[in-house]
Amino acid sequence: MARQKLLEVKNLKQYFQVGRGKVVKAVDGITFDIYKGETFGLVGESGCGKSTTGRTIIRLYEATEGEVLFNGVNVHGKKSKKELKELNRKMQMIFQDPYASLNPRMTVADIIAEGIDIHGLAKTKEERMQRVYELLETVGLNREHANRYPHEFSGGQRQRIGIARALAVEPEFIIADEPISALDVSIQAQVVNLMKKLQREKGLTYLFIAHDLSMVKYISDRIGVMYFGKMVELADAEELYRNPIHPYTKALLSAIPLPDPETERTRKRIIYDPSQHQYKEGEELEFREITPGHFVLCSEAEYKTYQSMYK
Amino acid sequence: MEKILEVKDLHISFDIHAGEVQAVRGVSFDLYKGETLAIVGESGSGKSVTSKALMRLLPTPPSRIKQGEILFEGKDLAKLSDKEMQNIRGAKISMIFQDPMTSLNPTMTIGKQVMEAILKHQEISKEEARKRAVELLQLVGIKNAEMRMKQYPHQFSGGMRQRVVIAIALACNPKILIADEPTTALDVTIQAQILELMKDIQKKLGMSIIFITHDLGVVANMADRVAVMYAGKIVEIGTVDEIFYNPKHPYTWGLLASMPSLDHKDMELYSIPGTPPDLLNPPKGDAFAPRNPYALKIDYELEPPMFKVSDTHYAATWLLHENAPKVEPPQIVRDRVAKFAQIVARKGGGSRG
Repeated sequence: MARQKLLEVKNLKQYFQVGRGKVVKAVDGITFDIYKGETFGLVGESGCGKSTTGRTIIRLYEATEGEVLFNGVNVHGKKSKKELKELNRKMQMIFQDPYASLNPRMTVADIIAEGIDIHGLAKTKEERMQRVYELLETVGLNREHANRYPHEFSGGQRQRIGIARALAVEPEFIIADEPISALDVSIQAQVVNLMKKLQREKGLTYLFIAHDLSMVKYISDRIGVMYFGKMVELADAEELYRNPIHPYTKALLSAIPLPDPETERTRKRIIYDPSQHQYKEGEELEFREITPGHFVLCSEAEYKTYQSMYK
Repeated sequence: MEKILEVKDLHISFDIHAGEVQAVRGVSFDLYKGETLAIVGESGSGKSVTSKALMRLLPTPPSRIKQGEILFEGKDLAKLSDKEMQNIRGAKISMIFQDPMTSLNPTMTIGKQVMEAILKHQEISKEEARKRAVELLQLVGIKNAEMRMKQYPHQFSGGMRQRVVIAIALACNPKILIADEPTTALDVTIQAQILELMKDIQKKLGMSIIFITHDLGVVANMADRVAVMYAGKIVEIGTVDEIFYNPKHPYTWGLLASMPSLDHKDMELYSIPGTPPDLLNPPKGDAFAPRNPYALKIDYELEPPMFKVSDTHYAATWLLHENAPKVEPPQIVRDRVAKFAQIVARKGGGSRG
């Protein structure tokens, strides 16, 4: 079955001006697709541009260059208010910090219903509250919680409120920017299970941004690895962990401590040094497919080596 | 092995307007020379409060040590005066914190901050202290130490700042280093470097480390022994192998099972239902009982004592009582137990102690 592309990111660039004439290339020409119903994991270390990518996709930032196509429609570029509203409804975001992403002066009901109000999805007050109650139950909270304020909830519960708010407008696509990093281990599992359940029931598509690689592997179908604004490798989650090709991916994977003392005792850490590629001048780096569905940023010469190694 | 620190039945409470929060409710453990003891648990389990109490860093009021002893070199740290404690803190026991961004003074050069720690406790000249500071920075892997001495914290990256913090903590060759989530704020590759550095330094200097974290991967990497805390108590303590491959407490099962292991993909993650108890009104009986699918009737009535599993392994759960029904731990835990059996068989019966 041909998979349907929900989101196409084409040569996306996001540069920030810092001071006079200085430019930070936070995202520097990345290209990838996200298929309908899948979870795409985006990993990398702080400052690699993974959050910026997420924020640029949903147009919290204007892209410097490149395109983001959502269902074939460009998200960026000139848009009427109506078009924007339509896009905003289909794409939602869940944030890292459940303490900072909810307005402390709004009740849970108003936080969740804000999207419903903006998009006029409920005709009467009763219908609006009915939706809020349903959403609360969907995310494992109960209707008594509707009139409380965010400070009355624990971190895990707040993250559930954040998820309910994202679901309120019945989106197709959710960008989750480190949704579990701020939570305790036992609570992380609750939230991840909830996200998986919602995906099954509602056919959601996720972009899951995180630095916790074991959780990313667990939740994602495909994973992209970012390094200094570029995507260096993209593959199926299993494949990426089994056969990492780019030396940075290898280094990253070798650095995750696993909850298993035996493997830890024998761990060999690989260190990545960008100069190890020994690119010649004028050599062009491209995102090339080594084995079906497994892409690596490499030069022509490296491409040949990788192919002979992994074919 | 030589005992270097003994904590006996430590109780710590915070008096707030709503009442008394019993953050630590009877913690006992020993620390041996040269070992790394990891304390794991969720936020609010009392792991940081315990470690800060060892250093007497908790402000009084609102906190108070209700009862218990902290025995170190023949003294009870719980009863020392502030003055006496100053001779121990930073000299014999030192601490590194989670956030390297805030634990350094932004207005002082790195060199000055490292020297301050040396001069405070040792009677040496400034020039000698400077030499020692350079050595320390080199020891923690900072290149160009002479030049870096003159720089300020903002000129260092997160990983480098944590190295500086470690250098300061090591300034007086402490017997015990308490590390409270020292790598939580760092990226994985930097975390790996810092963990390697800590192990390396431990080998060179032979100090004991108390490592506080909630990351079980880091625990598996660093620890010789592990104490699992829940709601202000140690619920299970044992060698790293015993905790990871033969856990006995349902809370430890839950923690281990809720981490996705790299080869279980399709199974739903095991999650511990509910949230930790409110320590303002700790529940009667076993505090974990309401979240424990294996809870017995007695768990709601009476707190379980520590049951002995082996000479090094203890767990506080009624499931270990001889009259308790046999229960099956979650699949992931059974897999771990099977793996442990293989390891033991391979090593010919002896496991690492």
